[in-house]
Amino acid sequence: MSDEQNEGIGPESFFEKLLNATPDAIVIVDAEGRIRIANDQAIALFGYGREEMIGQVVEMLIPERFRGAHPGHRGGYSTGARARPMGRSGMSLFGLRKDGSEFPAAISLSPAQMREGSWAITAVRDVSQEVAQEAALRRANETAIAANRELEAFSYSVAHDLRSPLRSIDGFSQALLEDYTDKLDGDGKDYLNRVRAAAQRMARLIDDLLSLSRVTRSELHRSRVDLSEIAREILAGLRRGHADREVSVIVHDGLVADADARLIGVALENLLANAWKFTSRKNGATIEVGSAVVNGQRAFFVRDDGAGFDMTYANKLFTAFQRLHAKAEFDGTGIGLATVQRIVLRHGGRVWAEGAVDRGATFWFTLPAS
Amino acid sequence: MAEKHVLLVEDNPDDEALTLRALKKAHILNPVIVVRDGAEAVEYLLGSGRHAGRDPEDTPQVILLDLNLPLLGGLDVLKKIRADAHAKLLPVVVLTSSKEEEDLVASYSLGANSYVRKPVDFAEFAEAVRKLGLFWLLVNESPPPLRGGGS
Repeated sequence: MSDEQNEGIGPESFFEKLLNATPDAIVIVDAEGRIRIANDQAIALFGYGREEMIGQVVEMLIPERFRGAHPGHRGGYSTGARARPMGRSGMSLFGLRKDGSEFPAAISLSPAQMREGSWAITAVRDVSQEVAQEAALRRANETAIAANRELEAFSYSVAHDLRSPLRSIDGFSQALLEDYTDKLDGDGKDYLNRVRAAAQRMARLIDDLLSLSRVTRSELHRSRVDLSEIAREILAGLRRGHADREVSVIVHDGLVADADARLIGVALENLLANAWKFTSRKNGATIEVGSAVVNGQRAFFVRDDGAGFDMTYANKLFTAFQRLHAKAEFDGTGIGLATVQRIVLRHGGRVWAEGAVDRGATFWFTLPAS
Repeated sequence: MAEKHVLLVEDNPDDEALTLRALKKAHILNPVIVVRDGAEAVEYLLGSGRHAGRDPEDTPQVILLDLNLPLLGGLDVLKKIRADAHAKLLPVVVLTSSKEEEDLVASYSLGANSYVRKPVDFAEFAEAVRKLGLFWLLVNESPPPLRGGGS
């Protein structure tokens, strides 16, 4: 056992230990503004030896451009005599090191009324890192805002300018077919119809891309959303549009989530239109919308018993322009599932798919409450 | 001009030709005045500038207004129409490529009577123009003419 443990330490040593135990630099200044005490962290932070600091006026730790006003503030402080933090709350304060370099500082002052006048206990923290992080965050935020604004402008001009040449291509092809029908043989008409089909397909692509970008651009407005009701409406619409199809539809009741109603509508529209499309070659197909608990979390699903897909390519499904079927087999732009994924991600959820060729597909997604 | 006429504000010559073709296909024989920038649309309605001397009380039955226009954009034209003593009640149909929400909101806020997105498929486009022509020239009752000098 050491002597110290035998005898214990006195209040002065304890005070010194306490002083050096804090992560902040502590400088104690007397009524004349002279440094009386500096802890180890103050020595390290300002780069002076202890003997170089003790007895000096505290202004040595302040950049020259702030010095003029400081003795005055100091006076005001010792008469005000209340503990208060400095810096941080909007005011920028700086410390000056022995080598002349400066650092942004958060400073807190506590008065101590001593027999020989009012002393100030000053805790100083170097906040360079926080200041740099805040600046980086601000820059990143500004960049994001600028990028978003650019995306807005881009989408706007796509919506306006990219569609109108397509209208010319389609319109004048149609005019040729109508006005020059006697001069065109079967091949000529076929070619023009292909031109029209291509123009219309590109228009669809543009619309789908715009809706994908709108999903990113628009704000999320969460409310209580009844997915059962939305799904039933969409399916009724699909039925009206394809009266010749015989599809059994099962929509579970009570599929409720805290989500953006409009965006969830877009997601369900894409999933149900897909299910509708990929069951088009099956007689008496079934489409089911429901929910189940997956890994302890409620997940919604849209299931069909149609063409399905090869699980090898499951990861490609949600990438824009990736298609797992030839256009002649099942038409599409390859943007629908990318839109679904983006909507679910914006809600902080997860989306995945299960399927097998000719045995249908199930699309799962979660919509955690915010 | 005694006959009910249509004012088409359209800078794209292809869209102009296609709109006129669609009107003709729908057997809408009313005269169509075409102006090719937003400033000219306002000059036409006010009887000034390139249309100095035109009687501003001879108002079109309906204005088909594109949004993306040179000089003065469609929304600015709409603003000027709604501020003009003769033209302020005229039916204005915004006929444009986009259905971006901001365009829809701005158009209706400024007092558009209708907003139609031009479809790429000409068959659909022709059908839209036919219905527009039918409705605004035959079905709809026009506002009474406003005499000049009104506040």
